[in-house]
Amino acid sequence: MVSINYAFREISCKIVYYGPGLSGKTTNLQWVHQKMPRERRGELISLATEKDRTLYFDFLPLDLGSIQGFTTKFQLYTVPGQVYYNATRRLVLRGADGIVFVADSQRGKMRENMESLQNLGENLTEYGYRLDDIPLVFQYNKRDLPDRASAEELNKLLNYRGVPFFEAVANRGVGVFETLKSISKIVLEKTTHQDAMPPPEPTVPPPQPRQKPMQSRPIETPNPPSVPRTPRGDYRPHRISPLRFQPLRAVEPAKPAEGTKRRGFFLWRIFKRGGKR
Amino acid sequence: MNEGLSVIYKGQSERISGVLRKLLRESEAKCSLLVDKDGHLIAKQGFTHSLDTTSLAALLAGSFASTKEMAKLLGESEFSVLFHEGKKDNIHVSLVGQRSILGVVFDDRTTVGMVRLYVREAEGDLEEILTSKSEGGEGIGVGFADQANERLDQIFGD
Repeated sequence: MVSINYAFREISCKIVYYGPGLSGKTTNLQWVHQKMPRERRGELISLATEKDRTLYFDFLPLDLGSIQGFTTKFQLYTVPGQVYYNATRRLVLRGADGIVFVADSQRGKMRENMESLQNLGENLTEYGYRLDDIPLVFQYNKRDLPDRASAEELNKLLNYRGVPFFEAVANRGVGVFETLKSISKIVLEKTTHQDAMPPPEPTVPPPQPRQKPMQSRPIETPNPPSVPRTPRGDYRPHRISPLRFQPLRAVEPAKPAEGTKRRGFFLWRIFKRGGKR
Repeated sequence: MNEGLSVIYKGQSERISGVLRKLLRESEAKCSLLVDKDGHLIAKQGFTHSLDTTSLAALLAGSFASTKEMAKLLGESEFSVLFHEGKKDNIHVSLVGQRSILGVVFDDRTTVGMVRLYVREAEGDLEEILTSKSEGGEGIGVGFADQANERLDQIFGD
């Protein structure tokens, strides 16, 4: 989810590099980190195993500077590509605004590419989103290797949406920035479009009451008044029973009973006589 | 995810800063960061100049997400508090509502108990601010996408 902070005047977007193991996701980030000017990028953080395989994620923050008064930032993440790290892969995907799918162009890797794309779709579904909707670009990496599939073959196999694709040799920087630029443009365009729409309701549900609220039950009357049905058809205002609801009336103070007044008079006379009747 | 935006308005941000300042004053902690679960920084207070708060925010969100998976394996829905103890500095991490995480960095001038006490007080206030409706911002602006495209061409090359 793109974060817009009007106090800091800052826009922050999350881009995730997804794909099968050893397809070159981390290499993309390493190249960007190496070639971007120091003032435009933060440190590359890699949560990796001792053998430099991504264990959790790689993270690289980028700062595009001020655009129309908003400091625009990108957060680049990679996921671990190995099949058995799906739990962590899914966690990194949370809140992604755009996906770069880094496919391995070698013919022997086609099955892994397809499985990874399918896995991406499944993990997006876990968050309630669809692969068909999310900003996506493909990067066909390792174009320098001899036994590679053509871009047309890869498109036929993976790019069913017809989104932008880039041929790359990530370890030499070929196609790395083109891919990043493309996904960045798509994400920012979508952000502008979304911001132009009315603001959504707060996504966080309000705190629930501790006790179950009492349900008011309408009291049936012998001849209930007919309630006009609203266009939605499912809403009926509560009816109030005429037996329960009485209009307020002015109440006159009650007169004292006749006997009470006379008994008081006789008691007073007995008191004046010193208790003698 | 890509449905909608996570927006913090100026009024909200000022109120959040007020709560974080009070938390730091009372608990004597060094600094605090409010982060959303996607790893974006919402607010920060205290001595943060020497910290890479962007990376710290991403790592806080990441560590919280991974402990949630651990909690699930133990049959819990989520762990609401994490505590990392270092030689000099420590960090107390707690969940605020459904979408945010509060990280408080402190040293030996205070204790984890004190921090935890005042964090609990602050959590309620922060949740109320984050869920409240605020005044709208002025919007990004119509020409934003075009200017952003130009900037991307400058930085990444045509």
